[in-house]
Amino acid sequence: MSRLNPFAKLPGLNTASVLLVENEEHFQQSLAEALVKETSVTVSVRLAKSFPLPVENDESRPRIDLVVFIINLTSELSFQSAEASLKYLEPGYFLGKVCFMVTNARSSSVPAERLDAVRRLAASLYCPLLFAEDQTQQGVTNAAERLLTILKVAAGFVPFTSSLYLSNLTRSTLPPDIDQPSFD
Amino acid sequence: MNDSSKLLLQRIVRRIPVQMLKATLDKWGRLTVEQRQAIDFTQSKWALTQKLLSFCEENGVTLTQLAELEMIHVIENPNQGMWYTFQLLDPENDAQSLELTQFKQQFKCHLSELLRQVSVKIKKHTDEAVWIRIAWGGSFTKPNHLKPTYVVHHLQTPYFFVRNLTSKLKPLLSQALTLATRHQGVKEANLSGRNLTSIRDLLMRQYQQMFPTKYPSPHDEEDQPVLNQYIEKEQGHVATHRRRMAREVFGDGTLPQLQSAVYKLDTKFKDPSNKTMTEREDTFKCVVKFSSINLLESLRSCASSGIASAPVTPLLSSIPLKGRNYFVVTDNTPGPSSQRH
Repeated sequence: MSRLNPFAKLPGLNTASVLLVENEEHFQQSLAEALVKETSVTVSVRLAKSFPLPVENDESRPRIDLVVFIINLTSELSFQSAEASLKYLEPGYFLGKVCFMVTNARSSSVPAERLDAVRRLAASLYCPLLFAEDQTQQGVTNAAERLLTILKVAAGFVPFTSSLYLSNLTRSTLPPDIDQPSFD
Repeated sequence: MNDSSKLLLQRIVRRIPVQMLKATLDKWGRLTVEQRQAIDFTQSKWALTQKLLSFCEENGVTLTQLAELEMIHVIENPNQGMWYTFQLLDPENDAQSLELTQFKQQFKCHLSELLRQVSVKIKKHTDEAVWIRIAWGGSFTKPNHLKPTYVVHHLQTPYFFVRNLTSKLKPLLSQALTLATRHQGVKEANLSGRNLTSIRDLLMRQYQQMFPTKYPSPHDEEDQPVLNQYIEKEQGHVATHRRRMAREVFGDGTLPQLQSAVYKLDTKFKDPSNKTMTEREDTFKCVVKFSSINLLESLRSCASSGIASAPVTPLLSSIPLKGRNYFVVTDNTPGPSSQRH
């Protein structure tokens, strides 16, 4: 079982690479288009549905600086697919190079347990948890901006900061009353 | 002209849109050139009707000739109303060599034997379709031309399409057609739709199909434009594969327009989280209906975008493969089956 290794390759010059993993393959397209608009660095985006990634691309794939799991809260399959993909990443990624992005959190059809489960997962892995709004252009731009902040740190473009330092500030924590029943 | 002719003319003029009225009247040919030029097509329909009534009275147009006018219009615009398909079974030895005059004679003969008061008009269209217009009467009533049944049949094929037939008269029509086409039985083909050309194309497979190949040509694979050199898909081949499978099942290019697909489920309830329903002995009956402006197009995009799982389930792929849109699903068979097929 070949895992994705964060430090096995050399980085590209002035390039940051991000891998967007989404089961529905829907939001990742618009997010990618917003990400590549960044001018100060060259952002290279790779899109995948789930792990394991095809072995044929191993040679041509650049060093992935950040892996983003996009979870659509309205679908249980989305969450399960993201969870199952985690074991294909080397542990080195979990030192600030993995991020969870959740869409449709405001939808009323979402059971509260699913959001709690995502929170627990992010907290247990010490990863940041971002909420994104994928229906409007503004929402996509905002999500891309926040991702770019984390991506620039993970790719080493921000001096005196590494992704491990940043993860201390951005990692998701569980609210203390997560086990209490909610009153929605 | 008597009342029923007047009513029929009124109905016809009301039904035909003004843009097509001129062309239809020209094709009908029962009005002289001066009369046709005298009609002002910008008037209201009521004024048009009065004018046409007076012309028809001048020329002595009969009820059957008016029926011909209606038929011309329907042949030009077949995609209205609801068409149902029937299939003829067990052809006899000379069914393949049936030709038009024999069919016409036999059909009129059989139908008038069954029901004395019936008015039949048969016309052959340029694309080999035989159109039959039937106005039904009762034992003592004259044929009612306001509610005609239209039947379309392609000779030497086992299918015919019917519009506007009541269930009381269905056995009469079935018997007359079965005998006239030299078959021994008829059954419902479970395909219905608003668009006659589409259901005919679907049944006779006259749409652009894609056949499975082991070595797909590069032209087929090149449908997704390269969006951005910085965005790359890791598992692009999965999407291409899905798209190809959807196109293999549903066809390429423009697809015939079906409006709905109905599945009648007669299966046991299966849901592990719901014990009370699963424990019941008898089957759970329900009807699932998919409706859309163009059902096959929506199913194809469902399959190619991944909403429906690929390979396409036989429940959906039976629609184009078997040419049906009404299925009865029971527990014994893995795919959809009909009671008699």
